[in-house]
Amino acid sequence: MNKLLAALSLTTALTMTTSAAFAEVKIGAIFDLSGGLNIYGIQQDQALDLAVASINEAGGVNGEDIVVVGYDAQSELSKYTQFAQTAVLRDGISAMFAGLTSSSREALRPILREANIPYFYSSLYEGGACDRNTFVTGSSASQQLSILMKWAVENYGPRVYIMAPDYNFGTISGYWIHKYAEELGAEVVGEDYLPLSMTDYAPTIQKIQAAKPDVVVAIPVGSAQTGFLEQFAAAGLKEDIGLISTNYGSGNQQIVVSPQAGEGYMSVMNYFPSASGETNAKFLAAWEEAYGTDTPVVTGSVDVWNAVHLWAAAANQAGTTDTDEVIAALQSGISYEAPNGTVTLEPGSHHLRQNMYIARGNANNGFDIVETFTDTAPTFENEICNLVDNPDVVEHFTPEN
Amino acid sequence: MELDFLATVLLSSLSSASILLIATLGLAVVYGLMGVINLAHGEFIMVGAYSALTATQIGLPFLLAIPFAVVTTMIIGAVVELLIIRKLYGRLFDTMLATWGLGMVFNQVAILLFGTVSPGIGMPQWSFKVGDYSLAVYPILMIFVAAVMLAFIYLLMTHTVYGMKARASIQQPQMAQAIGIDSSRVNTMTFAIGSGLAGLAGAILLPIIPATPSMGLFFAVKGFLTVVVAGPVTLTGSALAALGLGGGASVTASFMTSVVGDVFFFLVTAILLWLYPMGISAKWRRKL
Repeated sequence: MNKLLAALSLTTALTMTTSAAFAEVKIGAIFDLSGGLNIYGIQQDQALDLAVASINEAGGVNGEDIVVVGYDAQSELSKYTQFAQTAVLRDGISAMFAGLTSSSREALRPILREANIPYFYSSLYEGGACDRNTFVTGSSASQQLSILMKWAVENYGPRVYIMAPDYNFGTISGYWIHKYAEELGAEVVGEDYLPLSMTDYAPTIQKIQAAKPDVVVAIPVGSAQTGFLEQFAAAGLKEDIGLISTNYGSGNQQIVVSPQAGEGYMSVMNYFPSASGETNAKFLAAWEEAYGTDTPVVTGSVDVWNAVHLWAAAANQAGTTDTDEVIAALQSGISYEAPNGTVTLEPGSHHLRQNMYIARGNANNGFDIVETFTDTAPTFENEICNLVDNPDVVEHFTPEN
Repeated sequence: MELDFLATVLLSSLSSASILLIATLGLAVVYGLMGVINLAHGEFIMVGAYSALTATQIGLPFLLAIPFAVVTTMIIGAVVELLIIRKLYGRLFDTMLATWGLGMVFNQVAILLFGTVSPGIGMPQWSFKVGDYSLAVYPILMIFVAAVMLAFIYLLMTHTVYGMKARASIQQPQMAQAIGIDSSRVNTMTFAIGSGLAGLAGAILLPIIPATPSMGLFFAVKGFLTVVVAGPVTLTGSALAALGLGGGASVTASFMTSVVGDVFFFLVTAILLWLYPMGISAKWRRKL
């Protein structure tokens, strides 16, 4: 009986796969739908589904419907490699959309390069990834910090304190803060790199007071950030010291933080829901219809949305989903009318030239956009990485080397 | 080094140690009085935090939300003891595995019920000044809370019938049963109290550490190490271990970097366990 059942299910599975081979193109998706990182992963996945639905509605890719093969990485690195192998070897995907942390990207990158499948990484990160098969639609640390540091020194003053998590996102961001501070004639008066699981911010808050900065760049990750904000505000430091960040809001931290602590916290990002423009209004309407209004859209979702649309546009332009031709199309200076304005894929660095917004946390757990910087280039990546001329480079560049 | 800086370091380190102790006491009680290592302890803290949060959202003042969270977690704890822990008495590793799995279930249920981000309740915006330095009042208040919790558990264990029965059940199990103590009922009560203490921690620390489904992780590692370093004399041992490890790490972080503070915590734990494999209190003559 058991054997019969197994044989039956096998035949059904086979018929299903064969029938699925008609007029469909498969893409892989691996995001953290459970575990600690799911504050980002769930929305990334929702954005992917929404983008695929909108493309299919408009006629699909070269007349074929996109089908998503999705996996839950459970916030574990080993699951990323495992599911990427499965997606490549079994599912026969034409493109991969996956990953949140830099370590997940670095785990996935070799697998998709080996399989020669385009891979889209959609998250803000420290910058510097350079690989012919990898395309980055989030913003890089230098892209954000060049703008934010200038604004902060002009608006708060020249004494800067760095408070960052102790891994490559934090330390590389630290490097850029030092570099831009120097260029702007400002001074880094103190810095503290914290373990990721930190909940005790009292020592940092004392050190900040001892250093007497004009502005603190605070970029702890995820829910740890909110604990720091509450203590910083409750200690009464907000009146005298500005607080800026490149990741505040990326996981909707502004919802968790109480209004009295979050108001006035400055963030720079390539998307805020309050961005102007008709494309954004349409995007938000579609999002709210699908997922409701409970959780504001985060930047990572728009990054995924843009990635899927850029890939589909490239595949349509190439007239095929064949990897080499799609990559050639992606390297043709392709651009897309995105919720965050026009985004253009830089042919050499595979990073996005896109709008940057400086926004201020308001009293209603949201953001008010203070200034918009259109068409900001990923300068560091463009300088260091040219995949058109050197397609064989595989490197994660850090500014020090 | 200026005097005002030293004073603030001392105060905030005491507060760090107290926060660690508050988060650890429930674990210590269950381990000390039942010999059960509850790997879902962090998730009980999370349940407490969400209970308090929900209570404030339906309009209860924060001070009433705390007992609400305690009662909720006590009931859940009692049910868990009856359904799971009871079946696994004396099987230390099986209990660890079962409670670990339970923690995962709690975590996922929290995601399903509350989503991934919930509004926090914020910290009371009170501060005071020591010389040039300004300190938030609420974290400092935790020193007082930890002291009250310690006194409460001490009195519960030494001055109530339940406390005497609980201690008898762990120190002389056969004798306790022979004189008619229903040790399984005592254990249900003990586990419920341990869970309630975790719930209290989650609720009272809510303004400092906002409720997230994975918040249990923040407490799990350091809490367990504190209990293991403390050893068999649950109460005094835990208080001392929390003060030494948590306070020490905080002082180190103030004078050096936060990473060095964490290194201090884990290094001192390793050294202490190397010197006292059964915990620092293994040879003490106190019982609590």
